[in-house]
Amino acid sequence: MILEIQGLTCGYGKLPVLRDVSLSIGAESVALIGPNGAGKTTLINAVTGLVKPWGGSIRFDGRDVTGHATHEIARAGIALVPQERELFPGMTVADNLALGAAYIPRAQGREERLLEQCLRLFPILKERFRQIVGTMSGGQQRMVAIARALMANPKLLILDEPSLGLQPSIVSEVFDRLSELKKDVAILVTEQNVKESLRSVDRGYVLENGAVVLEGAASDLAKDPHVEASYLGL
Amino acid sequence: MKRTATYAAAAIAAVVLAVLPAFLGAYPLNVARSVMTYMALAVSWDMLLRSGQISFGIAGLFGLGSYASALLVLRAGMDPVLSLVFATLLTGAIAYALGFAVLRLRAMYFSITTLALAEIFRIVLHNLHDFSGGPEGVVLPGVIFGGAAPALYWLCLAGLAITLGTSWYFERSKLHLALTAIRNDETSARASGVDIFKYLLVAFTVTSTLQGMMGAIQVQSYGFTTPETAFDANFTLLPLAMALLGGIHSTLGPIAGAVLLGIASEWLKLKIPYGHLVVYGIIIVLVILLMPRGLVGLARNRRAGRRA
Repeated sequence: MILEIQGLTCGYGKLPVLRDVSLSIGAESVALIGPNGAGKTTLINAVTGLVKPWGGSIRFDGRDVTGHATHEIARAGIALVPQERELFPGMTVADNLALGAAYIPRAQGREERLLEQCLRLFPILKERFRQIVGTMSGGQQRMVAIARALMANPKLLILDEPSLGLQPSIVSEVFDRLSELKKDVAILVTEQNVKESLRSVDRGYVLENGAVVLEGAASDLAKDPHVEASYLGL
Repeated sequence: MKRTATYAAAAIAAVVLAVLPAFLGAYPLNVARSVMTYMALAVSWDMLLRSGQISFGIAGLFGLGSYASALLVLRAGMDPVLSLVFATLLTGAIAYALGFAVLRLRAMYFSITTLALAEIFRIVLHNLHDFSGGPEGVVLPGVIFGGAAPALYWLCLAGLAITLGTSWYFERSKLHLALTAIRNDETSARASGVDIFKYLLVAFTVTSTLQGMMGAIQVQSYGFTTPETAFDANFTLLPLAMALLGGIHSTLGPIAGAVLLGIASEWLKLKIPYGHLVVYGIIIVLVILLMPRGLVGLARNRRAGRRA
Protein backbone atom coordinates (compact mmCIF):
# COMPACT_ATOMS: atom_id res chain seq x y z
CA MET A 1 0.00 0.00 0.00
CA ILE A 2 1.21 3.49 -0.79
CA LEU A 3 -1.22 5.33 1.44
CA GLU A 4 -3.04 3.72 4.34
CA ILE A 5 -5.42 5.72 6.49
CA GLN A 6 -6.89 4.05 9.55
CA GLY A 7 -9.61 5.36 11.87
CA LEU A 8 -8.90 8.97 10.98
CA THR A 9 -10.79 11.53 13.07
CA CYS A 10 -10.30 15.19 12.36
CA GLY A 11 -12.02 18.57 12.53
CA TYR A 12 -11.76 22.29 13.13
CA GLY A 13 -12.03 23.79 16.61
CA LYS A 14 -14.61 21.68 18.42
CA LEU A 15 -16.41 20.64 15.27
CA PRO A 16 -15.62 17.11 14.13
CA VAL A 17 -15.60 16.70 10.36
CA LEU A 18 -14.19 13.23 9.74
CA ARG A 19 -15.35 10.31 11.85
CA ASP A 20 -13.31 7.13 11.84
CA VAL A 21 -12.38 7.17 8.16
CA SER A 22 -10.28 4.33 6.76
CA LEU A 23 -8.98 4.30 3.21
CA SER A 24 -6.10 2.79 1.31
CA ILE A 25 -4.43 3.39 -2.02
CA GLY A 26 -2.07 1.06 -3.83
CA ALA A 27 -0.55 1.47 -7.28
CA GLU A 28 -3.82 2.75 -8.71
CA SER A 29 -6.03 5.78 -9.05
CA VAL A 30 -8.73 6.38 -6.50
CA ALA A 31 -11.58 8.88 -6.47
CA LEU A 32 -13.04 10.33 -3.32
CA ILE A 33 -16.54 11.45 -4.12
CA GLY A 34 -19.21 13.08 -2.04
CA PRO A 35 -21.28 16.22 -1.72
CA ASN A 36 -20.14 19.63 -0.48
CA GLY A 37 -19.20 19.52 3.17
CA ALA A 38 -18.70 15.76 3.29
CA GLY A 39 -15.09 16.21 4.42
CA LYS A 40 -13.17 15.49 1.22
CA THR A 41 -10.89 18.50 1.47
CA THR A 42 -10.44 17.97 5.21
CA LEU A 43 -9.27 14.42 4.53
CA ILE A 44 -6.72 15.71 2.04
CA ASN A 45 -5.60 18.45 4.39
CA ALA A 46 -5.06 15.86 7.11
CA VAL A 47 -3.02 13.64 4.80
CA THR A 48 -0.84 16.55 3.67
CA GLY A 49 -0.43 17.93 7.19
CA LEU A 50 -2.33 21.16 6.58
CA VAL A 51 -4.62 20.28 9.50
CA LYS A 52 -3.65 18.15 12.48
CA PRO A 53 -5.53 14.83 12.80
CA TRP A 54 -7.32 14.28 16.11
CA GLY A 55 -6.93 10.54 16.05
CA GLY A 56 -6.16 7.57 13.83
CA SER A 57 -3.08 6.98 11.74
CA ILE A 58 -1.81 7.87 8.28
CA ARG A 59 0.93 5.72 6.83
CA PHE A 60 2.65 6.67 3.60
CA ASP A 61 5.01 4.28 1.85
CA GLY A 62 5.42 2.25 5.04
CA ARG A 63 6.16 5.28 7.21
CA ASP A 64 3.91 6.87 9.82
CA VAL A 65 3.36 10.48 8.74
CA THR A 66 0.43 11.31 11.03
CA GLY A 67 0.64 14.99 11.97
CA HIS A 68 3.95 15.62 10.19
CA ALA A 69 4.67 19.08 8.78
CA THR A 70 3.37 19.72 5.26
CA HIS A 71 6.78 20.34 3.70
CA GLU A 72 8.12 17.07 5.17
CA ILE A 73 5.18 15.12 3.74
CA ALA A 74 5.75 16.82 0.38
CA ARG A 75 9.41 15.77 0.47
CA ALA A 76 8.42 12.20 1.34
CA GLY A 77 6.62 11.97 -2.02
CA ILE A 78 3.05 13.27 -1.75
CA ALA A 79 2.34 16.05 -4.22
CA LEU A 80 -0.79 18.12 -3.70
CA VAL A 81 -2.72 20.18 -6.19
CA PRO A 82 -4.82 22.23 -3.76
CA GLN A 83 -8.31 23.46 -4.49
CA GLU A 84 -8.31 26.77 -6.39
CA ARG A 85 -5.42 28.74 -4.82
CA GLU A 86 -3.06 26.26 -6.32
CA LEU A 87 -0.43 28.40 -8.06
CA PHE A 88 2.09 31.14 -7.63
CA PRO A 89 0.26 33.65 -9.82
CA GLY A 90 3.07 36.21 -9.98
CA MET A 91 5.60 33.71 -11.32
CA THR A 92 6.14 32.42 -14.85
CA VAL A 93 5.23 28.89 -15.91
CA ALA A 94 8.95 28.12 -15.93
CA ASP A 95 9.44 29.32 -12.36
CA ASN A 96 6.33 27.50 -11.14
CA LEU A 97 7.65 24.25 -12.56
CA ALA A 98 11.19 24.86 -11.29
CA LEU A 99 9.76 25.48 -7.84
CA GLY A 100 7.90 22.19 -7.94
CA ALA A 101 11.22 20.34 -8.00
CA ALA A 102 13.53 22.77 -6.21
CA TYR A 103 12.88 21.73 -2.61
CA ILE A 104 12.12 18.04 -3.07
CA PRO A 105 15.16 15.79 -2.60
CA ARG A 106 13.62 12.95 -4.67
CA ALA A 107 13.33 15.30 -7.66
CA GLN A 108 16.91 16.57 -7.50
CA GLY A 109 19.02 15.78 -10.52
CA ARG A 110 16.00 14.66 -12.54
CA GLU A 111 14.55 18.08 -13.26
CA GLU A 112 15.15 17.87 -16.99
CA ARG A 113 13.50 14.51 -17.40
CA LEU A 114 10.56 15.55 -15.23
CA LEU A 115 10.16 18.79 -17.16
CA GLU A 116 10.20 16.93 -20.44
CA GLN A 117 7.50 14.59 -19.14
CA CYS A 118 5.33 17.52 -18.00
CA LEU A 119 5.64 19.34 -21.30
CA ARG A 120 4.80 16.17 -23.19
CA LEU A 121 1.70 15.76 -21.04
CA PHE A 122 0.65 19.41 -21.37
CA PRO A 123 2.11 20.72 -24.66
CA ILE A 124 0.37 24.09 -24.21
CA LEU A 125 2.79 24.84 -21.35
CA LYS A 126 5.70 24.74 -23.76
CA GLU A 127 4.17 27.61 -25.75
CA ARG A 128 3.42 29.55 -22.58
CA PHE A 129 6.69 28.74 -20.84
CA ARG A 130 7.68 32.37 -20.13
CA GLN A 131 4.17 33.66 -19.42
CA ILE A 132 3.11 34.90 -15.97
CA VAL A 133 0.71 32.28 -14.67
CA GLY A 134 -1.78 34.82 -13.30
CA THR A 135 -2.55 35.93 -16.86
CA MET A 136 -3.50 32.46 -18.13
CA SER A 137 -6.95 30.90 -18.42
CA GLY A 138 -8.39 28.77 -15.63
CA GLY A 139 -7.86 25.50 -17.50
CA GLN A 140 -4.25 26.32 -18.35
CA GLN A 141 -3.60 27.33 -14.75
CA ARG A 142 -4.94 23.99 -13.57
CA MET A 143 -2.54 22.26 -15.98
CA VAL A 144 0.37 24.29 -14.61
CA ALA A 145 -0.67 23.29 -11.10
CA ILE A 146 -0.75 19.60 -12.00
CA ALA A 147 2.55 19.87 -13.85
CA ARG A 148 4.13 21.62 -10.89
CA ALA A 149 3.01 18.81 -8.60
CA LEU A 150 4.47 16.24 -11.01
CA MET A 151 7.81 18.05 -11.01
CA ALA A 152 8.22 16.81 -7.44
CA ASN A 153 8.52 13.26 -8.83
CA PRO A 154 5.77 12.10 -6.44
CA LYS A 155 4.72 8.58 -5.50
CA LEU A 156 1.23 9.84 -4.79
CA LEU A 157 -0.48 12.72 -6.54
CA ILE A 158 -3.45 14.25 -4.73
CA LEU A 159 -5.83 16.49 -6.63
CA ASP A 160 -8.50 18.41 -4.78
CA GLU A 161 -11.44 19.01 -7.13
CA PRO A 162 -9.44 19.40 -10.35
CA SER A 163 -12.61 20.10 -12.33
CA LEU A 164 -13.75 23.01 -10.16
CA GLY A 165 -14.52 26.09 -12.24
CA LEU A 166 -13.49 24.52 -15.54
CA GLN A 167 -15.57 24.16 -18.67
CA PRO A 168 -16.65 20.55 -19.44
CA SER A 169 -14.31 20.01 -22.41
CA ILE A 170 -11.30 21.00 -20.29
CA VAL A 171 -12.53 18.73 -17.50
CA SER A 172 -12.43 15.70 -19.81
CA GLU A 173 -8.99 16.74 -21.00
CA VAL A 174 -7.69 16.96 -17.44
CA PHE A 175 -9.11 13.52 -16.64
CA ASP A 176 -7.67 12.06 -19.85
CA ARG A 177 -4.25 13.27 -18.75
CA LEU A 178 -4.80 11.74 -15.33
CA SER A 179 -5.58 8.34 -16.82
CA GLU A 180 -2.31 8.55 -18.76
CA LEU A 181 -0.51 9.37 -15.54
CA LYS A 182 -1.79 6.53 -13.42
CA LYS A 183 0.71 4.15 -14.98
CA ASP A 184 3.54 5.98 -13.21
CA VAL A 185 2.07 7.46 -10.08
CA ALA A 186 -0.72 6.65 -7.63
CA ILE A 187 -3.53 9.19 -7.74
CA LEU A 188 -6.09 10.32 -5.19
CA VAL A 189 -8.66 12.71 -6.60
CA THR A 190 -11.63 14.34 -4.87
CA GLU A 191 -14.51 15.21 -7.11
CA GLN A 192 -18.04 16.44 -7.21
CA ASN A 193 -18.02 15.65 -10.89
CA VAL A 194 -18.75 11.99 -10.22
CA LYS A 195 -19.40 10.94 -13.79
CA GLU A 196 -16.08 12.14 -15.17
CA SER A 197 -14.04 10.94 -12.24
CA LEU A 198 -15.51 7.41 -12.10
CA ARG A 199 -14.86 7.08 -15.82
CA SER A 200 -11.11 7.53 -15.39
CA VAL A 201 -10.18 5.99 -12.03
CA ASP A 202 -9.82 2.39 -10.82
CA ARG A 203 -11.60 2.59 -7.50
CA GLY A 204 -13.72 4.98 -5.51
CA TYR A 205 -14.83 5.88 -2.01
CA VAL A 206 -18.06 7.73 -1.27
CA LEU A 207 -17.79 10.09 1.65
CA GLU A 208 -20.93 11.46 3.30
CA ASN A 209 -21.12 13.47 6.52
CA GLY A 210 -17.53 12.66 7.36
CA ALA A 211 -17.76 8.89 7.01
CA VAL A 212 -17.13 6.41 4.20
CA VAL A 213 -20.53 5.01 3.17
CA LEU A 214 -19.49 3.06 0.08
CA GLU A 215 -16.34 1.82 -1.58
CA GLY A 216 -15.55 -0.31 -4.57
CA ALA A 217 -14.34 -0.55 -8.14
CA ALA A 218 -15.22 2.54 -10.16
CA SER A 219 -17.32 0.54 -12.61
CA ASP A 220 -19.36 -0.99 -9.75
CA LEU A 221 -19.83 2.37 -8.04
CA ALA A 222 -21.10 3.90 -11.26
CA LYS A 223 -23.84 1.25 -11.32
CA ASP A 224 -24.64 1.46 -7.60
CA PRO A 225 -28.25 2.58 -7.05
CA HIS A 226 -27.29 4.99 -4.25
CA VAL A 227 -24.57 6.63 -6.35
CA GLU A 228 -26.84 6.77 -9.38
CA ALA A 229 -29.60 8.42 -7.40
CA SER A 230 -27.45 10.85 -5.42
CA TYR A 231 -24.70 11.84 -7.83
CA LEU A 232 -25.44 10.84 -11.38
CA GLY A 233 -28.98 12.18 -11.45
CA LEU A 234 -30.39 8.99 -12.94
CA MET B 1 25.09 38.79 -23.38
CA LYS B 2 22.70 40.86 -21.27
CA ARG B 3 24.27 39.41 -18.14
CA THR B 4 27.76 40.42 -19.26
CA ALA B 5 26.53 43.97 -19.83
CA THR B 6 25.00 44.01 -16.34
CA TYR B 7 28.26 42.82 -14.78
CA ALA B 8 30.24 45.40 -16.73
CA ALA B 9 27.90 48.20 -15.63
CA ALA B 10 28.14 47.05 -12.02
CA ALA B 11 31.95 46.90 -12.19
CA ILE B 12 32.17 50.41 -13.68
CA ALA B 13 29.79 51.76 -11.04
CA ALA B 14 31.88 50.13 -8.29
CA VAL B 15 35.13 51.66 -9.60
CA VAL B 16 33.56 55.12 -9.97
CA LEU B 17 32.12 54.93 -6.45
CA ALA B 18 35.43 53.75 -5.01
CA VAL B 19 37.50 56.63 -6.48
CA LEU B 20 34.90 59.31 -5.75
CA PRO B 21 36.70 60.64 -2.61
CA ALA B 22 39.58 61.79 -4.83
CA PHE B 23 37.28 64.34 -6.47
CA LEU B 24 34.77 65.30 -3.79
CA GLY B 25 35.05 67.43 -0.66
CA ALA B 26 33.85 66.54 2.84
CA TYR B 27 30.25 67.75 2.40
CA PRO B 28 29.42 65.85 -0.81
CA LEU B 29 31.05 62.76 0.70
CA ASN B 30 28.83 63.13 3.74
CA VAL B 31 25.76 63.36 1.49
CA ALA B 32 26.99 60.28 -0.38
CA ARG B 33 27.29 58.37 2.91
CA SER B 34 23.78 59.33 3.87
CA VAL B 35 22.45 58.17 0.49
CA MET B 36 24.40 54.91 0.71
CA THR B 37 23.14 54.21 4.24
CA TYR B 38 19.52 54.73 3.21
CA MET B 39 20.14 52.70 0.07
CA ALA B 40 21.43 49.75 2.08
CA LEU B 41 18.42 49.98 4.39
CA ALA B 42 16.03 50.21 1.44
CA VAL B 43 17.54 47.16 -0.26
CA SER B 44 17.56 45.12 2.95
CA TRP B 45 13.91 46.04 3.61
CA ASP B 46 13.04 44.94 0.10
CA MET B 47 14.84 41.62 0.58
CA LEU B 48 12.39 40.67 3.34
CA LEU B 49 9.49 42.14 1.39
CA ARG B 50 10.17 39.60 -1.37
CA SER B 51 8.77 36.99 1.03
CA GLY B 52 5.65 39.13 1.49
CA GLN B 53 6.53 40.34 5.00
CA ILE B 54 6.35 44.13 5.45
CA SER B 55 8.66 45.22 8.26
CA PHE B 56 8.34 48.58 9.99
CA GLY B 57 11.23 47.78 12.26
CA ILE B 58 14.21 49.00 10.20
CA ALA B 59 14.96 51.84 12.64
CA GLY B 60 14.83 49.39 15.54
CA LEU B 61 17.52 47.12 14.15
CA PHE B 62 19.54 50.06 12.86
CA GLY B 63 19.46 51.62 16.34
CA LEU B 64 20.25 48.31 17.96
CA GLY B 65 23.36 47.97 15.81
CA SER B 66 24.33 51.57 16.61
CA TYR B 67 24.05 51.09 20.35
CA ALA B 68 25.68 47.67 20.31
CA SER B 69 28.73 49.08 18.54
CA ALA B 70 28.94 52.22 20.70
CA LEU B 71 28.52 50.33 23.97
CA LEU B 72 31.04 47.65 22.98
CA VAL B 73 33.61 50.41 22.55
CA LEU B 74 32.60 52.38 25.65
CA ARG B 75 31.80 49.61 28.14
CA ALA B 76 34.00 46.78 26.91
CA GLY B 77 36.86 48.86 25.53
CA MET B 78 36.63 47.09 22.19
CA ASP B 79 38.47 48.32 19.13
CA PRO B 80 36.00 50.35 16.96
CA VAL B 81 36.57 48.25 13.83
CA LEU B 82 36.12 45.02 15.80
CA SER B 83 33.00 46.46 17.41
CA LEU B 84 31.44 46.82 13.95
CA VAL B 85 31.74 43.07 13.44
CA PHE B 86 30.47 42.14 16.89
CA ALA B 87 27.61 44.66 16.84
CA THR B 88 26.53 43.28 13.45
CA LEU B 89 26.58 39.70 14.71
CA LEU B 90 24.84 40.67 17.94
CA THR B 91 21.98 42.35 16.05
CA GLY B 92 21.69 39.22 13.93
CA ALA B 93 21.56 36.98 17.01
CA ILE B 94 18.84 39.13 18.61
CA ALA B 95 16.84 39.16 15.37
CA TYR B 96 17.19 35.37 15.11
CA ALA B 97 15.79 34.92 18.63
CA LEU B 98 12.97 37.43 18.03
CA GLY B 99 12.22 35.78 14.70
CA PHE B 100 10.82 32.73 16.46
CA ALA B 101 8.11 34.96 17.94
CA VAL B 102 7.39 37.58 15.27
CA LEU B 103 7.50 35.24 12.27
CA ARG B 104 4.45 33.42 13.59
CA LEU B 105 2.59 36.60 12.66
CA ARG B 106 1.56 37.64 9.18
CA ALA B 107 0.54 40.72 7.24
CA MET B 108 -0.47 43.69 9.37
CA TYR B 109 0.21 41.86 12.64
CA PHE B 110 3.81 41.26 11.64
CA SER B 111 4.25 44.89 10.55
CA ILE B 112 2.80 46.36 13.75
CA THR B 113 4.87 44.04 15.91
CA THR B 114 8.12 45.02 14.18
CA LEU B 115 7.16 48.66 14.69
CA ALA B 116 6.52 47.98 18.38
CA LEU B 117 9.86 46.15 18.71
CA ALA B 118 11.70 49.22 17.43
CA GLU B 119 9.88 51.33 20.00
CA ILE B 120 10.70 48.86 22.79
CA PHE B 121 14.43 48.94 21.93
CA ARG B 122 14.33 52.75 22.00
CA ILE B 123 12.51 52.96 25.32
CA VAL B 124 14.80 50.41 26.97
CA LEU B 125 17.95 52.27 25.91
CA HIS B 126 16.30 55.55 26.85
CA ASN B 127 15.79 54.34 30.41
CA LEU B 128 18.96 52.34 31.13
CA HIS B 129 20.74 55.49 32.30
CA ASP B 130 23.87 53.92 33.75
CA PHE B 131 24.43 51.48 30.92
CA SER B 132 23.31 53.32 27.80
CA GLY B 133 23.62 56.95 28.84
CA GLY B 134 19.85 57.42 28.86
CA PRO B 135 18.26 60.21 26.85
CA GLU B 136 21.58 62.09 26.51
CA GLY B 137 22.94 59.14 24.58
CA VAL B 138 26.56 58.13 24.26
CA VAL B 139 29.66 59.96 23.09
CA LEU B 140 32.54 57.86 21.83
CA PRO B 141 36.16 58.79 22.63
CA GLY B 142 36.72 59.41 18.94
CA VAL B 143 35.42 58.88 15.43
CA ILE B 144 36.62 55.74 13.64
CA PHE B 145 39.71 56.18 11.36
CA GLY B 146 40.34 59.60 13.00
CA GLY B 147 37.32 60.97 11.14
CA ALA B 148 39.05 61.03 7.74
CA ALA B 149 36.25 61.73 5.24
CA PRO B 150 37.46 59.31 2.51
CA ALA B 151 37.91 56.48 5.05
CA LEU B 152 34.41 56.99 6.44
CA TYR B 153 33.09 57.02 2.88
CA TRP B 154 34.82 53.74 2.04
CA LEU B 155 33.56 52.14 5.23
CA CYS B 156 29.99 53.06 4.33
CA LEU B 157 30.56 51.90 0.75
CA ALA B 158 31.80 48.55 2.09
CA GLY B 159 28.60 48.19 4.12
CA LEU B 160 26.54 48.98 1.04
CA ALA B 161 28.56 46.53 -1.06
CA ILE B 162 27.93 43.72 1.44
CA THR B 163 24.20 44.53 1.39
CA LEU B 164 23.96 44.66 -2.40
CA GLY B 165 25.99 41.47 -2.69
CA THR B 166 23.65 39.68 -0.30
CA SER B 167 20.60 40.99 -2.14
CA TRP B 168 22.09 39.83 -5.43
CA TYR B 169 22.62 36.40 -3.90
CA PHE B 170 19.01 36.38 -2.67
CA GLU B 171 17.87 37.09 -6.24
CA ARG B 172 20.03 34.51 -7.94
CA SER B 173 19.94 31.54 -5.56
CA LYS B 174 17.27 28.97 -4.83
CA LEU B 175 16.22 31.24 -1.95
CA HIS B 176 14.55 33.46 -4.53
CA LEU B 177 12.11 30.72 -5.56
CA ALA B 178 11.24 29.93 -1.95
CA LEU B 179 10.68 33.56 -0.93
CA THR B 180 8.62 34.34 -4.05
CA ALA B 181 6.57 31.20 -3.48
CA ILE B 182 5.87 32.18 0.14
CA ARG B 183 4.79 35.65 -0.99
CA ASN B 184 2.48 34.18 -3.63
CA ASP B 185 0.80 31.44 -1.63
CA GLU B 186 1.93 29.80 1.59
CA THR B 187 -0.20 26.68 1.24
CA SER B 188 1.15 25.92 -2.21
CA ALA B 189 4.67 26.71 -1.05
CA ARG B 190 4.33 24.20 1.80
CA ALA B 191 2.84 21.61 -0.51
CA SER B 192 5.88 22.10 -2.76
CA GLY B 193 8.17 21.16 0.09
CA VAL B 194 9.22 24.67 1.13
CA ASP B 195 9.97 24.90 4.86
CA ILE B 196 8.31 28.31 5.20
CA PHE B 197 9.43 29.12 8.72
CA LYS B 198 13.06 28.30 7.97
CA TYR B 199 13.22 30.58 4.94
CA LEU B 200 11.41 33.44 6.66
CA LEU B 201 13.79 33.12 9.61
CA VAL B 202 16.80 33.22 7.27
CA ALA B 203 15.45 36.29 5.46
CA PHE B 204 14.50 38.10 8.66
CA THR B 205 17.83 37.37 10.37
CA VAL B 206 19.96 38.29 7.36
CA THR B 207 18.14 41.55 6.61
CA SER B 208 18.16 42.53 10.31
CA THR B 209 21.89 41.83 10.47
CA LEU B 210 22.49 44.12 7.49
CA GLN B 211 20.41 46.88 9.10
CA GLY B 212 22.35 46.50 12.36
CA MET B 213 25.60 46.67 10.42
CA MET B 214 24.63 49.98 8.81
CA GLY B 215 23.69 51.30 12.27
CA ALA B 216 27.07 50.31 13.67
CA ILE B 217 28.85 52.00 10.75
CA GLN B 218 26.76 55.13 11.27
CA VAL B 219 27.51 55.48 14.99
CA GLN B 220 31.24 54.92 14.54
CA SER B 221 31.27 57.51 11.74
CA TYR B 222 29.64 60.22 13.86
CA GLY B 223 31.12 59.36 17.25
CA PHE B 224 27.90 59.80 19.21
CA THR B 225 24.27 58.79 19.25
CA THR B 226 21.09 59.25 21.28
CA PRO B 227 17.97 57.08 21.38
CA GLU B 228 16.19 59.68 19.26
CA THR B 229 18.97 59.70 16.63
CA ALA B 230 19.60 55.96 16.47
CA PHE B 231 15.93 54.96 16.40
CA ASP B 232 14.76 57.92 14.31
CA ALA B 233 11.57 56.97 12.45
CA ASN B 234 13.21 58.32 9.28
CA PHE B 235 15.38 55.21 9.19
CA THR B 236 12.18 53.26 8.67
CA LEU B 237 10.21 55.71 6.53
CA LEU B 238 12.84 56.94 4.05
CA PRO B 239 14.06 53.47 2.97
CA LEU B 240 10.46 52.42 2.55
CA ALA B 241 9.71 55.47 0.38
CA MET B 242 12.86 54.88 -1.66
CA ALA B 243 12.04 51.23 -2.34
CA LEU B 244 8.47 52.12 -3.31
CA LEU B 245 9.61 54.90 -5.64
CA GLY B 246 12.27 52.77 -7.30
CA GLY B 247 10.22 49.59 -7.50
CA ILE B 248 9.90 46.76 -5.02
CA HIS B 249 10.93 43.09 -5.31
CA SER B 250 14.27 43.84 -6.93
CA THR B 251 17.74 45.11 -6.07
CA LEU B 252 17.79 47.76 -8.77
CA GLY B 253 14.54 49.48 -7.72
CA PRO B 254 15.58 50.47 -4.19
CA ILE B 255 18.98 51.58 -5.56
CA ALA B 256 17.35 53.93 -8.07
CA GLY B 257 14.87 55.18 -5.47
CA ALA B 258 17.60 55.85 -2.93
CA VAL B 259 19.71 57.87 -5.36
CA LEU B 260 16.76 60.02 -6.44
CA LEU B 261 15.12 60.55 -3.06
CA GLY B 262 18.44 60.74 -1.19
CA ILE B 263 19.72 63.60 -3.31
CA ALA B 264 16.30 65.24 -3.45
CA SER B 265 16.06 65.11 0.33
CA GLU B 266 19.40 66.89 0.78
CA TRP B 267 18.23 69.60 -1.56
CA LEU B 268 14.81 69.85 0.07
CA LYS B 269 16.39 70.06 3.52
CA LEU B 270 18.16 73.23 2.41
CA LYS B 271 15.12 74.70 0.69
CA ILE B 272 12.39 73.79 3.18
CA PRO B 273 14.13 72.94 6.47
CA TYR B 274 10.92 72.19 8.37
CA GLY B 275 8.65 70.88 5.65
CA HIS B 276 10.76 68.52 3.59
CA LEU B 277 9.10 65.45 5.04
CA VAL B 278 5.75 66.70 3.75
CA VAL B 279 7.19 66.58 0.25
CA TYR B 280 8.28 63.03 0.98
CA GLY B 281 4.78 62.09 1.99
CA ILE B 282 3.38 63.58 -1.21
CA ILE B 283 5.91 61.60 -3.28
CA ILE B 284 4.87 58.32 -1.60
CA VAL B 285 1.18 59.02 -2.21
CA LEU B 286 1.78 59.90 -5.87
CA VAL B 287 3.98 56.85 -6.47
CA ILE B 288 1.45 54.45 -4.97
CA LEU B 289 -1.40 56.01 -6.96
CA LEU B 290 0.30 56.48 -10.30
CA MET B 291 3.00 53.81 -10.56
CA PRO B 292 2.52 51.07 -7.98
CA ARG B 293 5.41 49.09 -9.44
CA GLY B 294 7.85 51.99 -9.12
CA LEU B 295 10.32 53.37 -11.65
CA VAL B 296 11.75 49.95 -12.48
CA GLY B 297 8.24 48.60 -13.09
CA LEU B 298 7.48 51.59 -15.29
CA ALA B 299 10.63 51.04 -17.35
CA ARG B 300 9.83 47.34 -17.69
CA ASN B 301 6.31 48.10 -18.92
CA ARG B 302 7.67 50.59 -21.44
CA ARG B 303 10.07 48.01 -22.79
CA ALA B 304 7.39 45.34 -22.93
CA GLY B 305 5.09 47.84 -24.65
CA ARG B 306 7.67 48.59 -27.33
CA ARG B 307 8.26 44.92 -27.99
CA ALA B 308 4.54 44.19 -28.40
